[in-house]
Amino acid sequence: MTSHKTFTRRYLGQTALAGATLIGAPLPLRYAAAQTTGNLKVALLLPTSGIQAQIGQACRRGADVANDVFTDMKLPVKLEIVNYDTESKPDVARTQAEKAIDAGCQMLVGAFDSGQTIAIAQVAEQRGVPLVVNIAAAPQITEQGYKFVVRNFPTAPMLITGALSLHKEIFKVSGKTPKTAVMMGVNDTFGTSMVNGIKALFPKLDMPYEIVDTITYDPAAKDLSVEVGRAKATKAELLIPVNRLNDAKLMIQEMVKQRWEPMGVMNPGAPGLYEQDFFKTMGKYSDFLISNVPWLDPKSAMTQSLEKRHAAKFPNDQLDINAGFTFEGLLVAAQAWITAKSTKADALMDALRKTKIDLHVIIGGPIQFDAKGQNVNIKAAAVENLKRKPTVVMPAESAAAPLVFPMPGWNDKRRT
Amino acid sequence: MSFIRRLVGNAPPRILWSLAILLALLLVAPALLGKYWLSVLILILYFAFVGQAWNILMGFAGQLSLGHALYAGLGGYIAAGLYFHYGIGPWAGVFAAVVVAGMAGAIVGYLGFRFSLAGVYFALLTIAFSEFTRVAFDHWEWAGGSGGLFLKVEAVTDIINLRGGPVLFYYVILGLAAGAFILCRALLQSRLGQYWLAIREDAEAAQAVGVPVLRCKMIAIVISAALTALAGVWNAFYYNNLFPETAFAMGRSIEITLAPIIGGLGTLFGPIVGAVVLTGLGEAFTDLGDVLRIPGIKQIFYGLALLVIVMYRPAGVWPWLADKLGLKERQP
Repeated sequence: MTSHKTFTRRYLGQTALAGATLIGAPLPLRYAAAQTTGNLKVALLLPTSGIQAQIGQACRRGADVANDVFTDMKLPVKLEIVNYDTESKPDVARTQAEKAIDAGCQMLVGAFDSGQTIAIAQVAEQRGVPLVVNIAAAPQITEQGYKFVVRNFPTAPMLITGALSLHKEIFKVSGKTPKTAVMMGVNDTFGTSMVNGIKALFPKLDMPYEIVDTITYDPAAKDLSVEVGRAKATKAELLIPVNRLNDAKLMIQEMVKQRWEPMGVMNPGAPGLYEQDFFKTMGKYSDFLISNVPWLDPKSAMTQSLEKRHAAKFPNDQLDINAGFTFEGLLVAAQAWITAKSTKADALMDALRKTKIDLHVIIGGPIQFDAKGQNVNIKAAAVENLKRKPTVVMPAESAAAPLVFPMPGWNDKRRT
Repeated sequence: MSFIRRLVGNAPPRILWSLAILLALLLVAPALLGKYWLSVLILILYFAFVGQAWNILMGFAGQLSLGHALYAGLGGYIAAGLYFHYGIGPWAGVFAAVVVAGMAGAIVGYLGFRFSLAGVYFALLTIAFSEFTRVAFDHWEWAGGSGGLFLKVEAVTDIINLRGGPVLFYYVILGLAAGAFILCRALLQSRLGQYWLAIREDAEAAQAVGVPVLRCKMIAIVISAALTALAGVWNAFYYNNLFPETAFAMGRSIEITLAPIIGGLGTLFGPIVGAVVLTGLGEAFTDLGDVLRIPGIKQIFYGLALLVIVMYRPAGVWPWLADKLGLKERQP
């Protein structure tokens, strides 16, 4: 028996109504969620899905414990944090920012990626709502003359300059200076920018070593034996890798296989070497590699609270700079609200301009913004992998362990 | 008048009235909608427009391109680069953008059509061009390299240089979408349009009855590339930043194809309906994901919804909807 459904206009109308209800159903929930009471309503815009999901979720973990840390530090504030997923796309970031402001958010924090951040910044400017940038390194973000944007993250040139300056400090403290270096870099957007930035800044920084070769490779490379072999053949005493996570693993695996033991492996501000998954995969070979990046200050009481809260809530996840900078973004928002005593955009922006936060989590001076909205007090730290953990070894005032340089060989007894 | 009469053709009055009402509503939409809904509407119009452009090549002429991000990226970079380096506004820069993208389309098309690459092989060729252009732009200093090209954001509205808020960009993309709709209708009503449909159905048979297949396909890809370049220019000035990794991304090419596929390949309303359905579903599932606090759940539901639509409406939503609403065009 065949059943024939008759499509009348009424039936079609009912179907359309049902469809619209299905599509629109989450919206009231969304707006209700955004309208609940709190001190300051902050939209946290992060790429928690899409290609940058892993990092976006790490950022979000820093935000998820922010109010608990504020309580520990006796800050008289409780932020109402509303999460928005940018899906790693600038167009979605823009509509999400519009949605957040329509839903009553009084401040925006985000968005990890420069393209997405600029898309959000335009909305912030047009709608007159302050944006605190947690992570995004493109210098243009604070060069556009935005009135409602501040950034608590170093620009790409700041990252590179800070990292290379630390190289000299490391050589000075250890008493060992390599004369030659080889740079290996992934040739994606980030890697190419870093490699080009290093090449441009290198002559100005009076570095004690010469870069004898620069080797780039595809981010999807499955084997780096040729590249590592070429790097080894240069007989360079220092390897400067500009990695992502997977190629960092491939590179170190290949170095071990080819028994290449340079004086050190020092990452000039890239991720990869300090990531949790890198430690899990590489085991003892992950130790004694150095990343020169902004990092959490282990001596700060606020960092200690953040570590404690993070470990309690996310026992399987390592606290990293993504969570650290996102937490600080919310700290900046909270402090602005405390100072402004108002949720009005102009008052909040005035407070942001006058921000001076001495107690925070990332190594460096007080959080303060210059006329362009850039925090210029963030310092690079030398983070050495020790006992499968990223450990601050420089600057001395923040060091949690002494520096080990040159790097012990792959079969050295210190690797256990 | 004869052009308008030909354009209207056999369209039933109710479709004309519906279109007039829709256009009137779209014209006043910025006054009625909040900023968020306006930004959603902008996305719908954008995807309807690029979908219409892609539909010319695939829906009308039957040539599958999975690398249309190439033309959008080229258009965006050329116009944005001319503005950034020489202060040449986008209304002038757009001509260079369209010419360059059209030439790129012609090169891809000639290589593909002249050497009889069809189906997935032609699709692979389009992907290859998009990919190596991405790599080239990663290393092209004039275009900002991999660090991206950023346009200065101005607080004032400047129509000459396409600087301003969402309302300005809304009306520009509305104009583009409406223009593309009219153009596609006119093309379909023309002899060229009939040739395309013949090629789509059976290229060899079309050739046998005297249709200049190569020339028709070349015209299709050049028009399609040029229109897509317009979308790229709009996109560059709306978002004010361009990165090779996103401008020429495979994902962007796929996004361009989705609206016409879901709405109805080869139909005029397909890309529009598809853009409404996809953007609506996308926003709904984004909200659902935010409420449930499960990252990535949107992509799962979105994928499932597309699967259901493709399974139950393989010809797209519009042909079914037009049938149910009695909006099917009378056959002469």
